[in-house]
Amino acid sequence: MIELVPRSSTGWRAQLAAYALALVLGFTTSALLIAASGASIIEGFGALYEGAFGSQEAILQSLVAATPLIFTGLATVIAFRAEIWSIGQEGQVFAGAMCGYWATLYLGDAPGLVSIPVIILAAMIGGALMGGFCGWLKTRFQVNEIISTVMLNYVIVYLLSYLLAGGPWTEEGSTSYHQTPVFTDNFHLPLLVDDVKLHIGFALALVAAAICWVILKKTPLGFEIRALGFNPTALRFKGVNVTRTVLIIMCISGALSALAGVSEIFGVNHRLRGDVMTGIGFTGIIVGMIGGLNPIGAVIAALLFGALANGSLYMSVLSDIPPSLVPAMQGILLLFFLTASVLVRYSIKFKGPAHV
Amino acid sequence: MSELLSPEILMSIMTAAMGVATIILLAALGELVTERAGIWNMGVEGTMLSGCLIAYLVMASTGSPILAALVAMGAGLAVGLLIGFMTVTLRVDHFVTGLGFNLLASGLTLFWFRSYVGRGKPPSYSTIDKAPIPVLSDIPVIGPILFDQHLLTYIAFFSVPVIAFFLRRTTFGLETRAAGENPQFLEAKGLSVATRQYSALLFGSALTALGGAFLMLTFADQFRPDISGGRGWLAIVAVIAGNWRPVRTMIAVMVFAILDSVAVHAQGVGVDVPYQFFLMLPYVASILLLVMIRSRSGQPAKLGVPYLRH
Repeated sequence: MIELVPRSSTGWRAQLAAYALALVLGFTTSALLIAASGASIIEGFGALYEGAFGSQEAILQSLVAATPLIFTGLATVIAFRAEIWSIGQEGQVFAGAMCGYWATLYLGDAPGLVSIPVIILAAMIGGALMGGFCGWLKTRFQVNEIISTVMLNYVIVYLLSYLLAGGPWTEEGSTSYHQTPVFTDNFHLPLLVDDVKLHIGFALALVAAAICWVILKKTPLGFEIRALGFNPTALRFKGVNVTRTVLIIMCISGALSALAGVSEIFGVNHRLRGDVMTGIGFTGIIVGMIGGLNPIGAVIAALLFGALANGSLYMSVLSDIPPSLVPAMQGILLLFFLTASVLVRYSIKFKGPAHV
Repeated sequence: MSELLSPEILMSIMTAAMGVATIILLAALGELVTERAGIWNMGVEGTMLSGCLIAYLVMASTGSPILAALVAMGAGLAVGLLIGFMTVTLRVDHFVTGLGFNLLASGLTLFWFRSYVGRGKPPSYSTIDKAPIPVLSDIPVIGPILFDQHLLTYIAFFSVPVIAFFLRRTTFGLETRAAGENPQFLEAKGLSVATRQYSALLFGSALTALGGAFLMLTFADQFRPDISGGRGWLAIVAVIAGNWRPVRTMIAVMVFAILDSVAVHAQGVGVDVPYQFFLMLPYVASILLLVMIRSRSGQPAKLGVPYLRH
């Protein structure tokens, strides 16, 4: 029998050791996966590393890939900290990109200085409305937020599919590609580094992370978010309007996810299409959780996963290992991190058969 | 719209709905038992997806549907063991565990499928045949709908009263419920909460994986990523909307199954409403159902609360 005994306190060394162990075990298991699929581990990880960090350009590309994950990771941190298990990031990424695109239809040839802030604002409103809607369902009708957010994820994917294939946003003369024409230059996010697609979205993501950190640590709202996760009843007795707090959290979380959609569509692809956004929200959940529900941790995890995603493209060219190794690795890492988080909170005692 | 209401199409919709219902019902019954034992398992979607992939791999390489279903159930047991280890033994938050497992399953199945296929074309097979019940299937209207179905459809629907009986009338069923309502009481009687929760999870996950196998063997001739398409989530909604009662859960499952089936038929008939809106129906309905049916009186008192022994 395994018994868990809660620890009174945990030093940062023990925490670091537990998470390092999780990382090592996660990579070891992933190596076994590569071996099981019949490829060479060294070749696989070598190509992965080369593709992620092999050159200055590769590193910059990794940062580009990390950008949307920072946003969805932060969206996860804000919601999960309050123990609101929103997994609507995926749909909110779509909603953000779609609302941003909708705005462009009215912007014509407005200069970037005008159009980019409008696109960003429109996207954030779209994401916030979608998150807020699920918050409203939760507070008004007690609809579990996991369920409502999951279901809306499916709904919005079909909505985009309609808009792009058969609906008003269908590209003239083609219905098979499910995408809009390429945007004019005034709708492209400006680049931070020329020639590589590192756009201002990356800087924006870092700013967003800093803001989230300040909100969580230094503001009354941050206190409410943390307290909501810890003890909602006590918060209510303190006179805090919990309904309002839940709605605010869901709106912030939705708006952050929406920015991931903006950075992917307006920063990288420059045309609206669904498939390039698939998985950004779900990976963001893993990023947030592995980042220990901490904004800085989420940035670090996003950088790691962005590098993995970028490296996997190179790896799939050089070897027979499919790029889907990365989502598998992410899932495995997540499970080990969850286990490690238990090791940090409890000490494990092995006992003989249970005697009650 | 009226094309959908012709007698032939309605018959076809209802007949297909029984098949879709089988998938969701197996998962919902599994989840019902799991939740009655106090484990709020959110990993149903991932479990079903795992069942789909395993059934596909076995079916594609052996051609035996029975073996495919059995191995898929075995995979379900493994999943149940993993989720049980996380929630019961390590006491990780039930929601976090389930969400984490779904993400793991989504990534792992995709990788396994892609490495299995390699650079070639995914192998496909023909879907399994129905097993009409003699005489009964000749009854007009209800015969084809109820009695010209797959073997697993009969089993799934027959399981509803069986599970209701198990939970109400058998010792182990009552003890399972006690684990969800009042675990201290169970321990005080010298009975292990963990054993009952693990059993419920193993049973529930195997049933869910079987649902996935059924989807794979009757509705598709090859695997594709995320083929379960939210049906595991619909199973969870059916349990909540059914107020944790087997028969009411079955009714909720039928609502989703009929809408799912309508969506498929609407595409074939060529209704002027864009097909994407029909495909949204089950998901929209699930939210509406939870908004309308707000009674949670049947919810186990300790559902989702990790049990710490003293």
